[in-house]
Amino acid sequence: MVKPTLTLTADALQRRAFLRFLRQAGTLGAASAFGSTALKAFAGESGRVTLPFENGERELVAYPQKRPLIVLTARPPQLETPFSVFNEGAITPNDAFFVRYHWSGIPTSIDASTYRLRIGGNVSTPLDLSLADLKQMADAVDLVAVNQCSGNSRGHLTPRVNGSQLSNGAMGNARWTGIPLRKVLEKSGVKAGSMQVTFNGLDAPPLGNVPDFIKALNIDHALDGEVMLAWQMNGADLPLLNGYPVRLVVPGYYGTYWVKHVSDITVTGKVFDGFWMGKAYRIPDNPCACIEPGKESVKTTPINRMNVRSFITSLTNGMQIKSGRQVIVRGIAFDGGYGVTEVAFSPDGGKNWQTAQLGKNLGKHSFREWSVAFTPKNKGNHELLVRAVNWIGQGQPLSPLVNPNGYMRNVVESTHVVAV
Amino acid sequence: MKYALIRMLLIASALAPYAATALDIQLPAETAAFKPSELPGYVLAQRNCIICHSVHYIQSQPPASPRSYWEATVKKMKVPFGAKIADEDIPAIVDYLVKTYGAERSSGN
Repeated sequence: MVKPTLTLTADALQRRAFLRFLRQAGTLGAASAFGSTALKAFAGESGRVTLPFENGERELVAYPQKRPLIVLTARPPQLETPFSVFNEGAITPNDAFFVRYHWSGIPTSIDASTYRLRIGGNVSTPLDLSLADLKQMADAVDLVAVNQCSGNSRGHLTPRVNGSQLSNGAMGNARWTGIPLRKVLEKSGVKAGSMQVTFNGLDAPPLGNVPDFIKALNIDHALDGEVMLAWQMNGADLPLLNGYPVRLVVPGYYGTYWVKHVSDITVTGKVFDGFWMGKAYRIPDNPCACIEPGKESVKTTPINRMNVRSFITSLTNGMQIKSGRQVIVRGIAFDGGYGVTEVAFSPDGGKNWQTAQLGKNLGKHSFREWSVAFTPKNKGNHELLVRAVNWIGQGQPLSPLVNPNGYMRNVVESTHVVAV
Repeated sequence: MKYALIRMLLIASALAPYAATALDIQLPAETAAFKPSELPGYVLAQRNCIICHSVHYIQSQPPASPRSYWEATVKKMKVPFGAKIADEDIPAIVDYLVKTYGAERSSGN
């Protein structure tokens, strides 16, 4: 047992100790002695929010290292980012970044000095790495990339689809720091004929004999130099609920592959068919990943690259704006890693379109901010639409694509405002 | 302010018997609970479902969710998700869920 001392002045440790202190103080009932501001932020500024679909009432609760977020489920935690955060900039702050777990056996205490990452399976030299070993293995690299849940926006589907009833906040964009997965795999010596690489984290099912959350990437993908083992987001250690101390970053791919608290990497000689690859997170195996309603049997494939999406962030449904006065409408767009090349805005429900100006390019995997000038000429309702196109010409459909699990929603979004 | 923070840290050091390198968190208390009901499935749902997950998973589903959805989901919790639900309890649990959170809700629920 090491007693913390004032050598804790390194920023991260200070923050951690402070959080720990707040918790302890709360537990000991010492709150009043130190003023209530910080404690309140930790203990949970509660509130409620109603998402725009039936049964969309949710609590807002501040989890450790998080500001108040929308609670979809408490155990395991599934927390959604309030949409207003996306209007504050292209980077999603760590304390606002969404949280998604599958099993309730989540780690709540992780010691970075005893953490181990094991690489084994179809390799010539199995590795058992400390966090320090990992950080020293190669030069650290930075990459800005969107992490989006496969089921982001599922709650907006009509007809409704069962599953996590999310609005549009199960996504975030961060600058990830780590090393390419390839460096670790090369060091371990991947054997010829390898097919896939599997990833397991410290989170676990609450009962035995249950499929642990393990994901797989094809070997070429795992070795592409872009997939990353990251220990920082936005210049700080990962929050625990976002995968501390190391998570997989799979740029362009849905969040289901971004395994948190990675502990075991296994190279396989065949395609991994565990539950979370072979049964769950599968989509129709066709170019639109879609199926006609009611038609059940179709060949499926594991969900993979994200499709193109765009949102207005500066205006929300029902908001009032001044008739005859120009407003700058702002928003974000992103895709599965080719890069957004064009954003178009319609002030009149799709009759006319104008090209939006793109903001700073933070990289092809990042949110791309956009803006456009709009002057409502008449009083009354205006339906604003936005659609993006990426570098390979993929766009967004005007009517939603349907698939059995409600994944990959990317319909052209519409925002209704009232000019007064 | 800075002084206050350092003072808090000193107190925290004295209070916290943890290794300096561990990051530990305490999750907020779970508040969601099943809606009370006279249906026999109410007690069974309490006994079985919340061993593994909070009631949010159930109460956040679309209210039009039909009996077939609840039945398939309870069975999925057993296989492959490992819940130790007795087969004879499944119909009562499904009945409670669909009548409390799903398509067979009575008005006022």
